[in-house]
Amino acid sequence: MSWAFSNASMLAHLLGQNAYLALVPVLAGLVVSLPLGILSVRWGWLYPPVLSITSVLYAVPGLALFVVLIDYTGLTDLTVMIPLGIYSLAVLFPSVVEGLRSVPDPVRQAAVAMGFGTWRRLVTVELPIATPVVIAGLRVAAVSSISLVSVGALIGIGGLGYLFTDGEQRNFTTEIVVGIVLIIVLALITDTVLVLARRVLTPWQRTDRHARRLASRRAALAVTAREASQT
Amino acid sequence: MITFESVTKRYPGGTVAVDELSLEIPDGQIMVLVGPSGGGKTTSLRMINRLVDPTSGRILLDGKDVQGSNPAILRRGIGYVIQQGGLFPHRTVVDNIATVPLLIGWGKAKARQRARDLMDLVGLDAEMARRYPHQLSGGQQQRVGVARALAADPPVLLMDEPFSAVDPIVRASLQDELLRLQAELHKTVVFVTHDIEEAIKVGDQVAIFRPGGHLVQVDSPQRLLAAPADSYVEDFIGFDRGIRRLSFLAADTLDLDTGVIVSQDSTAADALAQARKAGTSSLLVVDSERLPHGWVATAGLESTPGDTKLADVPLTAGHGHTFRVDTDSLRAALDATVLSPTGEAVGVDSAGRVAGVTSYDRLRAAIQGADEAGRSASAAGSRPTTEGSPAPEGVPTS
Repeated sequence: MSWAFSNASMLAHLLGQNAYLALVPVLAGLVVSLPLGILSVRWGWLYPPVLSITSVLYAVPGLALFVVLIDYTGLTDLTVMIPLGIYSLAVLFPSVVEGLRSVPDPVRQAAVAMGFGTWRRLVTVELPIATPVVIAGLRVAAVSSISLVSVGALIGIGGLGYLFTDGEQRNFTTEIVVGIVLIIVLALITDTVLVLARRVLTPWQRTDRHARRLASRRAALAVTAREASQT
Repeated sequence: MITFESVTKRYPGGTVAVDELSLEIPDGQIMVLVGPSGGGKTTSLRMINRLVDPTSGRILLDGKDVQGSNPAILRRGIGYVIQQGGLFPHRTVVDNIATVPLLIGWGKAKARQRARDLMDLVGLDAEMARRYPHQLSGGQQQRVGVARALAADPPVLLMDEPFSAVDPIVRASLQDELLRLQAELHKTVVFVTHDIEEAIKVGDQVAIFRPGGHLVQVDSPQRLLAAPADSYVEDFIGFDRGIRRLSFLAADTLDLDTGVIVSQDSTAADALAQARKAGTSSLLVVDSERLPHGWVATAGLESTPGDTKLADVPLTAGHGHTFRVDTDSLRAALDATVLSPTGEAVGVDSAGRVAGVTSYDRLRAAIQGADEAGRSASAAGSRPTTEGSPAPEGVPTS
């Protein structure tokens, strides 16, 4: 514990770096998967091939991607962030598609019949209704991205992952434990922020406790499954 | 006025959903399109606001071809109600109702005020304004759907099986509500259903479709029950159409018998004399307020001392079900007659006082009278045209 306090400023810096390295790629993944998802719902034939591509990319080990990317992006943050962005895309793209598909048919029909144009219908009806599913995807992407950043420590850009490599070299267990605890804390804070964001963005769901509990349980299961597949 | 001019809808696979439909829907009336699935009724409805475009033919809205209008603009001027309401789950009741006013740029305050007025009109509590659709019952959701369709005060309302997802009791009250609203608003309503009972209840005119998208008959519900165009329509309407038709004939056309009514203050001797004069074997005893007491048989009176008051003579039978002469139909009168112990039913006024008594003979006379009136009206051409498509041998049910 005293080690952690005496190194607080270094830990804070690593924590900030870890958050930055993890979350910017998630945002980028969202920005790319929204239009991709919208197009894939509009033209159904697009969905299977795009899904195959993102899933295959998800299967490429992060370390291998780092090694390839170093030739192009050098030892910069981008080398770590590009693979994480690709992983986020793989998680978020199907979420966006599922979210848009969760809009009930009668609702879509009613919107058309009342004279909504395509664009207005998308922005004011379909995307809001898709929000809970998209945020469930965001939670999975953000939490797994936060823990995956540490792999970057192997090329010297790993946020809190530095504590693992350093602790291992110095045979200093406390440092490793602190690293794990901080990663978990960061993941929990991020997840809480996303849950709050969903509550604010989807007031109509607030009364539906049962549905919410189901959704978060499903998201938690998905995280465990993904984590297992990554190692 | 909505006019279909030989409208056909053929899908790429060759399926014909609507076949050469010609139909006029007059302003301010409820036109019900009814038929089995595959009859083309929903497709016809959806061609009015261009959710479906016809393969050939024209649809005119107040003389203007709808194909010439921008679909989004056209749709904002036509109310639309669908089966499960199609309410926006992410918007409150008041914002759901305000949808079209907001689309056409009324501004939030005015649109919401209008929405609150409509909630009142369709019988929704003001406290539900801030709720979300999933917090309402099915019937309440359907009311919101109707309010939303009426929000921008469109002259035309399209209703696609609007009440079929709710239970029968709620459905009946929603139908009543629709008729009450219509009496107030006089919209041109096109109403699609597969339920002939519903069609007969809510329709001013009923158009019957059969599989393949053919229109078989367009008529008032009463004419439809009295004179189905062919065996298909007859089968579709069901077996007891003769009885159901009586719902449209008012009981006030009955020539009621007042000769069998006797006061409980009369003596047995007077009553017997009255019965002989009227040629009846039972008399209806009433009190001083003319409220019905029950029946006495003349056979019993003959063995009773002549000066006994009828109030002291035991009744042979209760008066059974009564019917209201001013508001009930002949169907109610017939029902009361069938249930009556004497084969005669008591007609009462709004205060429950006896107006007279009917029998099978008097019912038959009233029904025949109504039939003759109906025939002369149709001969005078006041009835809508009936499309004379040949009756199919053995009705197709695909």
